[in-house]
Amino acid sequence: MVADDHSSGTHGAVAGSSDPAAAPQRAARRRAALRLDGVTKTYGAVTACDRVDLELVPGRIHGVLGENGAGKSTLMKIMIGLVLPEEGVITIDGDRVRLEDPTDAARYGIGMVHQHFSLVEPLRVWENVALGETGKLRPADVRNRVGEISERYGLDVDPDDVVGELPVGMRQRVEIIKCLRRDPTILIFDEPTSVLTPAESEGLFETLRQVVDEEGRAVALVSHKLDEILHATDEVTIMRQGQVVDRVVTADTTASALATAMVGRDVSLRSERVALGVVDTAAEGTEIPDTHPEDEPTVLELDGVTIRGRDGRTLLDDLSLSVRAGEIVGVAGVEGNGQRPLGDLLSSLTALDDGEVRVRGATVAAGAAGAMATAGIGVIPEDRHDSGVVLDMSVAENMALIDAPAFQRRGLLQKSALRERALHLIDDFDISCSGPDAPLSSLSGGNQQRVVLARELSASPAVLVAAQPTRGLDVGAIEYMTDRLRRAAEDGVGILLISSELEEILDLAHRIVVISSGRIIGEMSRADADLDRIGMLMGGQAA
Amino acid sequence: MFGDFFAAIGDILTSESAYINAFTFAVFLAFGASGEWVAEKSGTLNISIEAMFLAGAFAAAVGLDRSGSEVTALLFAIGASLLVALVQAHMSHNLAANQFVVGLTLNILVLGLASFLASELEFTTTQSDTIAIPLLSDIPLIGSALFDRAWLFYLIYAVVPICWWIVYRTRWGLELRASGENPQSADVSGIDVNKRRRQGIYVVGITSGVGGAYLVLAAVGQFEDSIVGGRGFIALTAVIFGGWTLRGTIAGCLLFGLVLSFRLSLPGLGYELNGDLLAAAPFLVTILVMAVFAARVRPPNGLAQPFIRGLK
Amino acid sequence: MSTGFDRDQVEAISLTPGTHEHEDPTDFHAGERRSDGTPVHSRFVGIGETVGLYVVCVVIALALSALLVEATGGDSGAVFAALLDGSIRGPGRVGVTIGVAVPLLLVALGTIVATRAGLVNIGQEGQLFMGAAFATYVGTELAAPGPIVIICLMIAGAIGGAIWAGIASVLKYRRNVPEVLTTLLLVTVAAQAVGYGLKNQWLLLAPAEGRANRQQISEQLAENDRIPRITWFGNEFPTSVFFALAMTVLVGVVLAATVWGFRVRMLGQNPQTAHRAGVAASRYGGAAMLISGGFAGLAGGAMLAGGDFGNYTLVPGFPSNIGWTGLLVALVARQQVAGAVIAALVFASLRTGSGFLAATGVERRVTDVVQGLLVLALLIPPALLFLRARRRELAAAGDRT
Repeated sequence: MVADDHSSGTHGAVAGSSDPAAAPQRAARRRAALRLDGVTKTYGAVTACDRVDLELVPGRIHGVLGENGAGKSTLMKIMIGLVLPEEGVITIDGDRVRLEDPTDAARYGIGMVHQHFSLVEPLRVWENVALGETGKLRPADVRNRVGEISERYGLDVDPDDVVGELPVGMRQRVEIIKCLRRDPTILIFDEPTSVLTPAESEGLFETLRQVVDEEGRAVALVSHKLDEILHATDEVTIMRQGQVVDRVVTADTTASALATAMVGRDVSLRSERVALGVVDTAAEGTEIPDTHPEDEPTVLELDGVTIRGRDGRTLLDDLSLSVRAGEIVGVAGVEGNGQRPLGDLLSSLTALDDGEVRVRGATVAAGAAGAMATAGIGVIPEDRHDSGVVLDMSVAENMALIDAPAFQRRGLLQKSALRERALHLIDDFDISCSGPDAPLSSLSGGNQQRVVLARELSASPAVLVAAQPTRGLDVGAIEYMTDRLRRAAEDGVGILLISSELEEILDLAHRIVVISSGRIIGEMSRADADLDRIGMLMGGQAA
Repeated sequence: MFGDFFAAIGDILTSESAYINAFTFAVFLAFGASGEWVAEKSGTLNISIEAMFLAGAFAAAVGLDRSGSEVTALLFAIGASLLVALVQAHMSHNLAANQFVVGLTLNILVLGLASFLASELEFTTTQSDTIAIPLLSDIPLIGSALFDRAWLFYLIYAVVPICWWIVYRTRWGLELRASGENPQSADVSGIDVNKRRRQGIYVVGITSGVGGAYLVLAAVGQFEDSIVGGRGFIALTAVIFGGWTLRGTIAGCLLFGLVLSFRLSLPGLGYELNGDLLAAAPFLVTILVMAVFAARVRPPNGLAQPFIRGLK
Repeated sequence: MSTGFDRDQVEAISLTPGTHEHEDPTDFHAGERRSDGTPVHSRFVGIGETVGLYVVCVVIALALSALLVEATGGDSGAVFAALLDGSIRGPGRVGVTIGVAVPLLLVALGTIVATRAGLVNIGQEGQLFMGAAFATYVGTELAAPGPIVIICLMIAGAIGGAIWAGIASVLKYRRNVPEVLTTLLLVTVAAQAVGYGLKNQWLLLAPAEGRANRQQISEQLAENDRIPRITWFGNEFPTSVFFALAMTVLVGVVLAATVWGFRVRMLGQNPQTAHRAGVAASRYGGAAMLISGGFAGLAGGAMLAGGDFGNYTLVPGFPSNIGWTGLLVALVARQQVAGAVIAALVFASLRTGSGFLAATGVERRVTDVVQGLLVLALLIPPALLFLRARRRELAAAGDRT
């Protein structure tokens, strides 16, 4: 039996010896490939993992479910040696081990497929696959192995492609090959479907099945999405606030039971349930603001917008869309299909190669410093640390990044006025911090996000671009964010909601456009929205 | 005016001694630049190359005087240069101090140290003899420039290929490139990014040590504290000129070497040119060349950015 | 703590050593590390330990210097005594030290402005020389009452330095050339350019009478055109010290309390956010670069007309490392204007002290070594404190696993 001869940490070739008949059994007594007992890790006052127990069994897909902030990623980092726990025992195949760094973890047969990949873009596929291994570099061997693995799992990857030139879905396959090439006994997947179309997700789950059923590996699937946990796992561990709150066999549970365990109470608020992916919007209706944008003027127009990257690749391709006052337009699509360049364009960070951006009918000089903000475009950026905040400045200063000149008197910046305004906004947006002078870096991610939201909304923009606004937030914070967006729309702000969470878009948007490879390839009103059609569009197929 | 200029270029390109001068400088630059290329591939813009050259040159001069052996002098040079590299590497890729700050401080410190010690210690150096390689050195025009040289010169024929080989053909080189392009990913893949970066600096330490020894023993023949005189920075720009390819870097060294040699070659060919202009020319040309090329080339993504795990 | 690592461009590297107190919570998932707003890792070291660390590093640097002196046959005790005599203890030496500190401080102020904008200007030596050359030209050519000449020559100095830094600025923002390299390369070019000026009478060279043939020297500033000197408690120094102190306050206030300073800091700390907020890098960064060069040029003017450097004439090698040293002053002061005043005095002391070394038989360039070692030593504590806080966190965690 494959599962029982892992003691060396590595075994034969990728194929291993397989026994398809034995694998799917509910072999509860089978020896765990990896066990965590009472693992604890604290960061200052926060206990990210509190006496966590976890058992990964060969031949099974084990889901780790939890909200953002529940401790999932700390747990993962512990399993791959990026974080050392303060307490607790890690056992692999019955031996107690200490995982000091990723190389240790790899030696014990633990491999991980990262959400944000561990790939080096300018290098070729085979070079990336070889990265982190030891021994003499044999390019021909690595290339062959990549080809073999790619073929076995139907991944269709060319070892000589440069990773940076591959679409995101393909990069994940490279990541998977990199992981499998080391022939791990334990595979950890971190939010793997966020970069995949529905069809690609199906393909991934098939690969996972192959890996556990035919090859007897143990898989951990870490996710905050209920449907993917329900769909793809055999058993699931649910985490909340650093603790394991429940452990169930997936077949014996339901979405709402999981949601309740994950959040810690009955999930009644529908936006919460949207965030968790357990709302059937067709049956329950939506939270779309009750505005009638069709009668309102257009506030934002993108007309034939084309942007090419420095390497000459087309990032946005003849993209046109418009937003009316009080309207929420959702841009749906799989990550990496132009959402980021679109957000950058509306943040003045990119110039246009072709086309035009108009706000309230007036053309805006794309790429000129501050032009979009001056024209009335507020932005909640996808990565606030990139273009949303200055970490080393205070909360008050961060709120005044754009309108500082308004606080100038006799040449000097009126710090007291800045502080006063900040106090007001801190109160208004319920920001938890030690005061207006607190450095922004001392705030939690959710509160940093609120500082951005407060600044952008208090400027009374014509348009608000919300790029992945709820990413990384916990359920309560998501609720707050969506509520704010809805209220802004009701106040007449046109909102461009760029999100890879389809549920979020279905729940909020009047109108949905689907982006793929930098083009808008489909548009529909919410009333006509059809999941199958959106799914196909997201995969780049015009339907 | 321009006619004169092109006539001068033409004379240089047909003069054997001009080729000798040009390659003297080019090879000196190439010793440093090939190692610098390795360091930059790993993510360090190593401005202390100037200090490394100088330390190497000084140690070679003292080493030759004390030991009488050129091989020992070379080892002295490499040792001194590595010492500078060690400080640079540990301060910038262990303590995470800003690499430019460290490099600049080292440049000033080593210059002070070399001129202080040069006035305190007594030593004399002699220029090493040339060894003509049969047949090859008989090639017209460039034969003696390339194949009738001091033995240190010939090391360049090994140093450049070795640098290329370790970067592109070894696992170490793969890890080094990954550390320069995407340190976060490299780290997650289990590579000790800062260690690779330190090692990249050791490589430039070694090669510029050889360069310093070559400069003092083979090219100039005696030590003075202005012997490097900012040419380390030219070696550094050769890497940028080359767009972070080794081939381009060497091409840059040849170009800059040629310009550096004008000061020696042109008067010999009977051209009276302004001395200050000639002295400034290599630096002006370097700046001009960067103005043309810098926007067109893509540096390693992690160049000049410190890596600390957990900090993006 | 002030600025830390820049996360964006090769060109936009802050000169401040690593002092980021926060981890980036975005690796993997935002927010998981800190959900209650407390910093991820507390400071493990108190004030006492910090001071202790600085003292240890400085002592090591001084010990190494002493060792070097002893190894080359000198007497380190005598050397340190001579340094003290030359900088402070000798009669009138405090005044000389203050006079030397003036240009160091001016250079450092400019460096601080550039660094806050995220620029790495390390060509002050050349900018200073250019400034001195411009000042010399105006100071010797302009026929006007003394005070006007002084003001004009200082302005000319600032313009000269700004032009030289401006070249690097244009190349950076128009052609994407890293300013760290251009500013460096332009140092040598400046020396040659001024050298050329000092060979031509229509530029800077003094008339043939009154100088040796082929000597490269400018005309001397007329007595009325020199910065007045005053004497306090037996120490004579130029009044430009008050100008430098006023500039220190001005730079401090502009950076900390004006919209311009706010935007420059924003640019230095997060260029992308700044761009979105309307801060054009080429405009604000370009201005910071010009100001930085302008201050170096002012230092050149102050050196020329102040009387502590040469005899009110310009000669080759005139900057004599004041530009480099001023840059080091800014580094050691960690971009704080108040710290720059103190660091400028310390480094000026080393320089004036070195004038008394001849009696000990030790070559005066030893002070360059001492200075370099001191700077290296002062780079270590902040970096060490930062890293140790991180390592302790890891180690404390590791023991109990």
